[in-house]
Order: sequence, then C-alpha cells, then structure tokens
Amino acid sequence: MTAPSAPLPAIELDGVGKRYRLAERSLVQALRPSRRRAVRHLWAVRDLDLRVEPGETVGLLGHNGAGKSTLLRMMAGVSEPSTGRVTVRGRVAPLISVGVGFHQELTGRENVYVNGMLLGLTRAEVEARFDEIVDFAELRDRIDTPVKFYSSGMFMRLGFSVAVHVDPDVLLVDEVLAVGDVAFQLKCFDRMRELSARGTTIVLVSHSMHAIGLLCPRALLVQGGRLVFDGPSEQAIEEHHRLLALGMAAADGAEPDEPVTVDAEVRRGDVAVARAEQDDELRVVGRVRFDAAVDDPRLVFRVMSEDGQLAYQYDAPMGHRHRSYRAGDVAAAEVRFRPALGAGGTFRLHLLVTDPEGRRVLGQNRAPLLLYVPPRYGVQGFADLGAAVSLDGYDFPHRPLTLGPGAAGADAFTGAGER
Amino acid sequence: MADAGAAPVLVLEPRPATRRAWLREVASFWPVLRMLAAKEFKTRYRGTTFGVVWAVVVPLLQATVLAVVFSRIARFEVEGGSYAAYVLTGMLLWSYFATSLPAATTAVVDGSNLADKVWFPRVLLILTVPLSNLIGLAVTHVILLGALPILGADLTLRLLALPLVALLLVVLTIGLGSVLGAMHVYFRDTKYLLQAALLVWIYLTPIIYPADLLGRWAGLLDANPLTGVVGLARWAALGGALPTRSAAVAIAAAVALLVVAAEVHRRHDRRFVDLL
Repeated sequence: MTAPSAPLPAIELDGVGKRYRLAERSLVQALRPSRRRAVRHLWAVRDLDLRVEPGETVGLLGHNGAGKSTLLRMMAGVSEPSTGRVTVRGRVAPLISVGVGFHQELTGRENVYVNGMLLGLTRAEVEARFDEIVDFAELRDRIDTPVKFYSSGMFMRLGFSVAVHVDPDVLLVDEVLAVGDVAFQLKCFDRMRELSARGTTIVLVSHSMHAIGLLCPRALLVQGGRLVFDGPSEQAIEEHHRLLALGMAAADGAEPDEPVTVDAEVRRGDVAVARAEQDDELRVVGRVRFDAAVDDPRLVFRVMSEDGQLAYQYDAPMGHRHRSYRAGDVAAAEVRFRPALGAGGTFRLHLLVTDPEGRRVLGQNRAPLLLYVPPRYGVQGFADLGAAVSLDGYDFPHRPLTLGPGAAGADAFTGAGER
Repeated sequence: MADAGAAPVLVLEPRPATRRAWLREVASFWPVLRMLAAKEFKTRYRGTTFGVVWAVVVPLLQATVLAVVFSRIARFEVEGGSYAAYVLTGMLLWSYFATSLPAATTAVVDGSNLADKVWFPRVLLILTVPLSNLIGLAVTHVILLGALPILGADLTLRLLALPLVALLLVVLTIGLGSVLGAMHVYFRDTKYLLQAALLVWIYLTPIIYPADLLGRWAGLLDANPLTGVVGLARWAALGGALPTRSAAVAIAAAVALLVVAAEVHRRHDRRFVDLL
C-alpha cells in the first residue's frame, strides 16, 4: 500500500485495551467511597496494535467473547478505550446491525431519512441518494408503508441499502450478511466490492468463513482480546479452526458411569486424521465395550458443526438381528463415509450407542473426534449436492461465486478461491 | 471518496474530549437532534385518532378536577380571584415537567439499541424528549390563553413573558433530565427515585394550593426551582407581584444544572455504552 502521497492508515490502534467492570456498582456503594472494595474487571481487549490501510478489506475472526464486538465498537467511536489510542480517519458507517434506529411505526421513507442522518448524511444528501437506496433495496412500491408491515428480509434490505449508500470511508460490518436471501447477499457482496474498489476501507466480522475468504485478502484473528494472527485470510481461517478445535477438546470431558464405553478415531486408510478433503474416503473405527448387559443397542454416527448444529446423522441397529450384549463384551464398529460437508469447517464427530428406541445414550466416544474440512468455494450450508450450472448450453466449471456484472476489482477477491 | 483532506478524524483515548471539542460536536449534531425529536413526536401519536390532543387533555382534566375539588372542598382562595386559573396555570407547566423528566431520565438506557451501534453524543437521546414535548407545551399555552378570559382573568401585555417562562422550564427540565439520565445509566434506581420524588415534589410546589397557606414557612418553597417557574407564569397570566426571589433561584438552578449536565456528559459520553 504505497501510494505517492503515502496516505495515513484508515484505522490505527496503538496499545489499545478495553476493560469492563464485571459487577455493577450499586447506588449505596457509590455513596460510600471509603468502603471501596476490589472490583473485578475483565479485559475484553488488551494491548492491541493494528493498522489498516485505506481501501483494505479486512476480516475479523475469533470465537464468541474474543473481543471482536468490542473492537468494532471502538472503531465505530461508540466506546472509548481504557488504554491506548484508536484513530479512525474518514466517515465511519457502522453496519453492526441493520436498520439501526428504524422505528416500526414510521414508513420506509421516513426511516431512510432517520437512518441516513444517524449514519452521518445530511438531509440533502439522503434526498440525493434516496432513489438509489430504494432501488437497491428493491422496495419501490412499499416505501411508504410502515416498516412494521415489512418482512424481516425487506427490513434487512432497506437497512443494508442505507448503510452502503452512505459512501463511508470506513465500513464496519458485523455479521449482517447472514440474514436475507442468497440473491440479496450476493448483491451486498457486490456492493461491498464496489465500495472497496472505490477506496472504502472495510472491516468485516463474520462467522461465515466463506464470506471472509471471499471478500477479505487479509484477516485478523483475535483470542482473549489479543491479536493472535494477522495475515492472509486463508491462513487466518485455518488458524481459527485450529484454535476452535483446541477449545472444543479442552471443553470435552468423559461422561462417567455410562454402561457402554466407546473408543474411536477417524482414519484415512490406516492413518488417524483430523483434517480431510471433502472427497476423501474416511472411516470412524471404534471399539465398543459393554460394562453392563444391553439388549438391542443402536449405533449412531453423528456429525455436529462447530456451532452445535446437526450436520448429519446415521443410525443403525447393531447387527442384523436383535442382539443382546453381556457385560464385558466388546464389539468392533466401523463407519465409512465421505465428509462432503458443503462449506466446510470444523466438525465434531460422535459415535454413540443408544437404547433400542434411540432415546437414551448409553455411551459415546470419550475423546472428542474433531475433523477440519476446508471450505469449498461457492458452496454454503452443510450439504454439497455437487451442483453444476449451465447457461444457454455453456457449462460453468465449478468455481468461486460469480457475482453480478461490472464488479470492478473483483479479481482481488475471487483470486483467493482460484486454487 | 477517501478524500483524507476533508474527512473527519476520530481519535479516541481513555480521557474525555475537551470542553470546546465536546460542545462543538454536540452542536454539529443539531440537525440529527431535530430529526430525532421530530421522529419522536411523529411516532408518539401515530395510530391514535386524537393525536397531540392527548398531550393536552390529560393535564387539562387533571387541572379541572383539582380546581373543582379544592375550591369546593378545601375552599382555597388566591389573591387576584380565580382559583381555577391559578391551578390551571400551575398544572399545565407541571405536567410538562412531570411527563418529560421520567422519559428523559430513561432515554439513554431506552435508546441502548441505537447507542450501542452508532456514535452521537448520548445527550441527544435525552434532549429529544423535552424537545418533542414542546408542541404539547405550545398547545397548552394556547388553551391557557383561551381559558383565562373565561376564568375571569384579564389578557394583558404581561402574557408576552409566558414563552420566556416556558423557556426557563424547558432549560430546567433539560438540565435535570440530562443529569438524571446519565445517573440512570449507572444506577438503575434513579428512575424509581424520581418517580417517588415527583409524587412529593408536586406538593412542595405551590400548584394546587396558594403559597401563603403555609404562612411564615412559605419562604421555604422558594428553594424549589419550580416555585419560581410557576410563580413567574402566574405573574404573567394572572398578575400580582413579580416573585423575584424564587425566580432568581429557578434561573440559577437552571444554569447550574445545565453546566453540571454538560460536564457529566462530556466525561462519560463514550463510557455509557459499556453499561448499556
């Protein structure tokens, strides 16, 4: 980023820390300053240095409570740091949640003015952009309806539309692209790339690694309020998944006193793996030991996403016929599968033994089975249906998301996916 | 776009803005404040059939009930004659104060979903309340002007002072509301303390009873800034001696509260959000 005039960074954080008080101070305590007790504090952000150049698009990663929102709040100027200095150059548009200040009783038109002015436009500027905002949101015929009659999608579209038409120098986006239909999401991506091509600095917080990978050449990873990685977004995403897996492993403990003990691992060929490509042939190999007599148990293979959603489950009786196990019996279980897990991510695999109705878990693998599957660009969701697109007889190869026409500077983003 | 020359630069450090910078920033948000107040006013009565009439009917009814009850039962009498006009004047001003103050006190906390995301001086949320209530106050004054001849008071040139009295009331409300609004962010008891205080406060102000009812203790009421406000309003509407002592207290209190409010908000403006 060496322009002739060597522009100053758009965002600069020098030794920034943010401390929160953990307990609220009561009125009575405040009135008795002499009885001051030690107050517990939490450092949400600590000693953080960061420089974002004008025109950069940077992803911000980290799991819940890592300090992402606190950082974004300080960049938005809403909250002051407890230590250090935050400098933001230019007009900031926080897109921390869409439709900020929208009032249910007001019409779409009135809300555009309220929202636009809150984001720093003058009334005349809102007026000049009004048509563009409404057209982008595709709400021309509903603009004079109170927003309480809008669907959540319409509400979101209008909110996003105002924010991206403020022409900010710095756009802060927090997890807002997750809502809305896919077509509008693509349009938003498009608009963000357009803003970026025109020199807007963008900081994007998202749990969608896909969005980060697609939009941000550079990503930051925060953990425990500190910056633990700053570099190419692909590496940041892998690092994020690695930390996530560590966290999950630490949180996992064996369930005591279960009648069945399961020891299992994930293998590719005969090698235990924790990372696999979506096309790999994998096996979960398990040893099931019964510590009590069990009739007709069922074996369940379950895959959970990192945020606890069920990605896949397969469930089968153990053996062809009804079968009983006595205490001390040992059975060998094996599940063969391909981790065609759509957008990828870190998944937690379970091998469970349940009662015949599948209601009660009798035992499950004691050590966590974590599997990282790299994202497949262009795919969202858990499943990968192997979609291929053809238009007027021309087959599109499986490639990164193709966005609308005329997205200048698009290569910088899609480049990340062209591997 | 990224035109760094004209672009604003935000520098945040763990210390409050200077007085000049803070005041300048608040002033620069004047258009936003006007817009917020207009929005507040619009949304308050949207969907109702009678709209802003409600802002007037309630205090009017309250004044009427009090006037009837206390003139017939307690047989209060005031100098200048019309007890009804006396109660009405006091009650209309009080109702502006008593409706604006609680809403102003909780405004920052109530506006947290906004304050959490976009920067603007938080005092804007508070100012919105007394400003959006101004229309109700104006309508109230028109009604008062219509009612005075009916209640047997003369229309004089002194009435021209009423807007100034209203201004004093508004400044007093803004000052106190801003201080309480900041306090409420830290101590959520504030709202309830205020509710309780208002119940008592109305009786510590000569609104429904004549001040001289208290005999030699009447002077104590002058320490209450609202005594000066209603006193001045009655002087303008009904005549009598100019209540210089209580008026001075009211003006001094209004200015002092305004200064305290500005100082509190300047120091805590970017910290409120941590507690919302």
